[in-house]
Amino acid sequence: MGPLSRETWAQRLGTFRASPSAFMAGPEGEDLARDLLSDLRSEKLSEPTKVSLLALSLEYPAQLWPDASAAEAAANSLLDTLVLLPPRPSALRRPLLLAATTALAAGGALGPTSGASRRLLPLLLGLASGRDLGRGFSPASEQRPLQATAWECLRELESCKPGLLGGCLGLLRGLLGQEGPVQPLSLLLALALRNALMIQARARAGLQGLLMAGDCPTEGGQWNWTLAEAGEAPLQPQAPGWPAAEEGECSLTALELSPEEARELRAAVAQLLDACYLLTPVAQAQLLWLLGWALRGLRGQPPVLFKPQLVRLLGTAQLTLLHAVLALKAAFGEALFTAQDEALLLRRLILAAQHPALPLPAHLFCLHCLLSFPENWPLGPAGSEAAPLLLGSQLCRGLLPSLLHDPMALLARLHLLCLLCVEDEEKEEQGQDQSPRSYLEELLAGLQQRAALDSGPRALATLCFQASYLVARCLAGHPVVLTPLTCGLAQLYRARPALAPHFADLLDQVGPELGEPLRVVLRQEVVSRPGRDEALRWHLQMLAKVADGDGQGAILRFLQAAAAHCTNWGLQQALLKVCRALLRAGVVEGLADLLQALAGQLEDPDGRDHARLYYILLAHLSRPKLGVALGPSLAAPALASSLVAENQGFAKALMVQEAPAPIRLSLGPHRAEGPVPVLQLQVEVLEPVYSLELRFSVERQLYAPLGAVHVPCLRPGRPARPLLLPVRPRRPAPARLAVRALYTTPTGLTCHAHLPPLLVNFADLFLPFPQPPKGAEADFFEELWDACLPQGTESHLWCPLGPHGLEALVSRHLEPFVVVAQPPTSYRVAIRLPPDSRLLLRLEAAQADGVPVALRTDDWSVLPLAGDYLRGLAAAG
Amino acid sequence: MAQRAVWLISHEPGTPQCGTIKFSRRYPTVENRARVFNEASYVPVPEDGPFLKALLFELRLLDDDKDFAESRDSCSHIQKTSIYGLPIGGEELWPVVAFLKNGMIYACVPLVEQTLSPHPPLISISGISQGFELLFGLQDFLYSGQKNDTELNTKVSQLPDLLLQSCPFGTLLDANLQNLSDGINFTSVTHPQKQPAWKAGMYKGKPQVSISITEKVKSMQYDKQDIADTWQVVGAVTCKCDLEGSMPNVTISLNLPTNGSPLQDILVHPCVTSLDSAILTSSSIDPMDDSAFSGPYKFPLTPPLESFNLCYYTSQVPVPPILGFYQVKEEGVQLKITVNLKLHESVKNSFEFCEAHIPFYNRGPITHVEYKVSFGQLEVFRDKSLLVWIIGQKFPKSMEIRLSGTVTFGAKSHEKQPFDHICIGGTAYLKLHFRILDYTLTGCYADQHSVQVFASGKPKISTHRKLISSDYYIWNSKAPAPITYGSLLL
Repeated sequence: MGPLSRETWAQRLGTFRASPSAFMAGPEGEDLARDLLSDLRSEKLSEPTKVSLLALSLEYPAQLWPDASAAEAAANSLLDTLVLLPPRPSALRRPLLLAATTALAAGGALGPTSGASRRLLPLLLGLASGRDLGRGFSPASEQRPLQATAWECLRELESCKPGLLGGCLGLLRGLLGQEGPVQPLSLLLALALRNALMIQARARAGLQGLLMAGDCPTEGGQWNWTLAEAGEAPLQPQAPGWPAAEEGECSLTALELSPEEARELRAAVAQLLDACYLLTPVAQAQLLWLLGWALRGLRGQPPVLFKPQLVRLLGTAQLTLLHAVLALKAAFGEALFTAQDEALLLRRLILAAQHPALPLPAHLFCLHCLLSFPENWPLGPAGSEAAPLLLGSQLCRGLLPSLLHDPMALLARLHLLCLLCVEDEEKEEQGQDQSPRSYLEELLAGLQQRAALDSGPRALATLCFQASYLVARCLAGHPVVLTPLTCGLAQLYRARPALAPHFADLLDQVGPELGEPLRVVLRQEVVSRPGRDEALRWHLQMLAKVADGDGQGAILRFLQAAAAHCTNWGLQQALLKVCRALLRAGVVEGLADLLQALAGQLEDPDGRDHARLYYILLAHLSRPKLGVALGPSLAAPALASSLVAENQGFAKALMVQEAPAPIRLSLGPHRAEGPVPVLQLQVEVLEPVYSLELRFSVERQLYAPLGAVHVPCLRPGRPARPLLLPVRPRRPAPARLAVRALYTTPTGLTCHAHLPPLLVNFADLFLPFPQPPKGAEADFFEELWDACLPQGTESHLWCPLGPHGLEALVSRHLEPFVVVAQPPTSYRVAIRLPPDSRLLLRLEAAQADGVPVALRTDDWSVLPLAGDYLRGLAAAG
Repeated sequence: MAQRAVWLISHEPGTPQCGTIKFSRRYPTVENRARVFNEASYVPVPEDGPFLKALLFELRLLDDDKDFAESRDSCSHIQKTSIYGLPIGGEELWPVVAFLKNGMIYACVPLVEQTLSPHPPLISISGISQGFELLFGLQDFLYSGQKNDTELNTKVSQLPDLLLQSCPFGTLLDANLQNLSDGINFTSVTHPQKQPAWKAGMYKGKPQVSISITEKVKSMQYDKQDIADTWQVVGAVTCKCDLEGSMPNVTISLNLPTNGSPLQDILVHPCVTSLDSAILTSSSIDPMDDSAFSGPYKFPLTPPLESFNLCYYTSQVPVPPILGFYQVKEEGVQLKITVNLKLHESVKNSFEFCEAHIPFYNRGPITHVEYKVSFGQLEVFRDKSLLVWIIGQKFPKSMEIRLSGTVTFGAKSHEKQPFDHICIGGTAYLKLHFRILDYTLTGCYADQHSVQVFASGKPKISTHRKLISSDYYIWNSKAPAPITYGSLLL
């Protein structure tokens, strides 16, 4: 395909710029990069078109060449295009150099293994240092701009790969003393110096003669990547260690400089500073930031070198220079600025924050700097905005807000005024006639008056509320300010209820110091002023925000009166929202009547349904549950209708949530009494649990269905009484009980959890026979014994005994069931096994290591269980 | 210390988007550094479309502020500087330096060389002031000498080229774009000597120096017992030095007559090489005393090629040039107004023009005016609810003039009549507009002896002076008026 025409390119570039991602995803995206590189060499395209192609590659290399290899290829292609240019003046050389540099640096291809890097770096250095490149690279007229551009390219590469030019420091210093463009060279030297110091400090090495190193690699020679490789760790901030950023590893204290190195370094910095005035103001500022960083924390490098520059810098109207001086102040503090210097700097800053010759954004930035002023001896915590110690109300006179200011200026100045009010608290008591505080009051009143204008833009109202918020935040502990503010806001509401959303927002944002009293006055304001239509809508919205348990009588009366005017769905919803707020606040008295009335009276069926629902909830739900049911949903923003929010609240609150159980359940000691076996359950909880219901189910239906166990409240750390669970076995067999718990959390949610199953052992089912009359025990036992046969079965087994003998075993496990006892050798035991089986044991003629047991039961299926049980007894001890 | 991207946006209220991007430039190598420095808090610079939308919303420049929008109108969303955080795709692009001036929005995103969460203090970010300087430079370039849209568009079309020179990789090299634009013509000149970066070439021709002093006087007059009137002079001295040699040394001095008012709050051009400490410390922040430095104010400098603002100053003159009172009484649908103006005898009574503009806000259109003026004539702009009293070139011998009259208004219709959020109720003002040539209120002047050039050839020196009114308000003394803290203390 031949080269595209100028028009096609213009259109293509336009589409690309409108949305690069869309273009690259489209059909033309794939070819763009290739076409661009090839058309740069086309003879049919004009230079301006080619420049616009290069401009695109300067801005969007990542889209054109998304990976390092593509970037490398592109840089090579751009360099080829550059060397192929005919030796006449061309507008393409500069942008080609810039584009090749950008492609390499942005594409991550810059490095010792990259062929393009190996071509570009010597080329740039050759051009920059004014060395003859031996090929008539460019016409003489272009040499100088190309030289400057080459320096810029090198600086950008050094920025992206710190240490890249570390080996050239000596060369750069040498060149700075000669002819040539001062600015790019100064900036590059300062940057390379700063980076070299930083990398060496990290490696705990000295400058190793870098400053005096003679020559740099020439074309074809090897580029020295050592320092750049060492600097591969994350790029370091250029900010001269602002106190807040100090903790990083930017400290240069680790750097050990020999006396000679220190001298050379000082000479290099002095050389740069001496030529500083030849730079544009913005470049001077950069140089100062870089050198400030380079010298900060470096031992044996007093910052006095900067001193001669300061007066000149402080006199100017340039924001960057003032900012750079502040950076030096932050970096060196007292070492560079005496107390008088500090005072002067502060004054210049105050001046810049209000000078009519400077634009508003500059004023605002200076005002910000004033409140973050790097003081020599700061008192307050670092990082928070505060008025510097030296800044008294006298100095600030010109910086105080007035209604005539732009909103941003007004807020910034208001902040300062608030800070002054805090400071002037004491002085005020002495009865100065015009204190900052009364000025503040007047200002707030003026803002409120403007916000009250019906036809005013919303920005005016917003400004008033922002100012109120700012004052409430800065002067939270000053009721003397907040009280009139509260009154003023109440008046504002009276004048313009349509600001209700702003009031609601303010109540959400401010602390209780303003929030509580404001809530009260707004509530009074609303209920004392019933309105209709538009005003009623706002009143209801306001009331939904401020209604709580207090003053419920007045609120309910207001609502009752309002109900008649709530003729549309929106108003009814607003009305119900207030009811909802009251429900949540736990208001009961009167509310039920109102809801019932609304359920019958409202025109809209939706409104009626809601009123009825609230009534039912009020009547049936306990308060915490009600709170959750009606609580605002976190998932959805509040809508005009409460329905959505409610649905989500209900869904959560009225449905059962699956949850991991905060409950531990275990079986306590066996209680052998009563008509049926009763399990003693022991419960522990990890968090408070209310209305706990434990449900059990028996596997294989061995027992009759079990009833649930209810516990009203359980708290962690407080042992609960054991819970009794009667079981009705259908067969006398051990079983596993599956356990589920239903409970309410402290937040009112109902949860459901599966607990680990409980194992009911064979012995847990044992019950004693009723106690026979005294003296008849032996007969009673014999009767039972005989009755087992013939349908039953008899067995004999050897039950091993532990060291404590038979007596201990019986007393521990069989005590409740012993009918006849002849300690220590003979016991007759009768066990009732529900539903209707028995197990009889004769333990007689015990020996030291065991006892023979004769065993009878009327249910032969019990036999293996009994055998296991007896054999297990010895093991259990 | 670099910018990740810069935008120029025209604000077009009433159109669907409310704005168009006129120019934008991204810096991918800086963006790469941002990705490394900002670590997890890195948010990429968005494409133009989403950026435009987010910025206009944040600046309240979309036409939709009818309803309360929490993200914009919340009371805790306090904006105290021109540096914004823009919500884009659920993340926050910060810091965005942006401001609106003359219907143009200037915006850029400076590189922050550390993590962004929490936001580091603005003062610690070197790119912020650089960003401002870049945007101020753009603004100066676009609006210096520009008169119409075509010229503006021509200048916008020059921006890609100019930025390629002044900010090729996102690091600003020179904020003076006008200088660069002119300097393109000088690039072929060879530079045998060391050349300042802010001087693109050398002047060849007759040596000449021109100095013009423009003073603006602003005032707030209340005619009230408990509120002091305030006034202030703000001066700007503009120079053009056409001198041969690469770095000619020049000293320019400004002088005051014996009864002149001392200059204060002096800010100088960066080309001034040294500054007397008396000049540096003379400040309006401190209470005035007799020891105030009253000149001569000497500025040694190496001038740039182009015209430059040598210095700005303020001054507190003893009296305002015109003292007035304005009274408005509401009588039914009519307003009864009285204006009295008196020119101070020390002021040169020779105006290029002098007018008093009397606007009526938040009312209906003017339907009827009856008036009497002791001097000059009154023009009525009914639809604009504005009276303009044209006083002319001279005050009469008595130096005092008077206007009285009644103004009747029609019914208020919201759309057309001018709205003002200051002039509520009886609050009203009149604003004076005047200009006096060859005169300064402070007395500050430059003359043939004011320029010392340490180079061969005596330059031809021309000087100009003028006084202009600016924000010269006289408030209705029968109603509350907005005050500043200063007017309460005096």
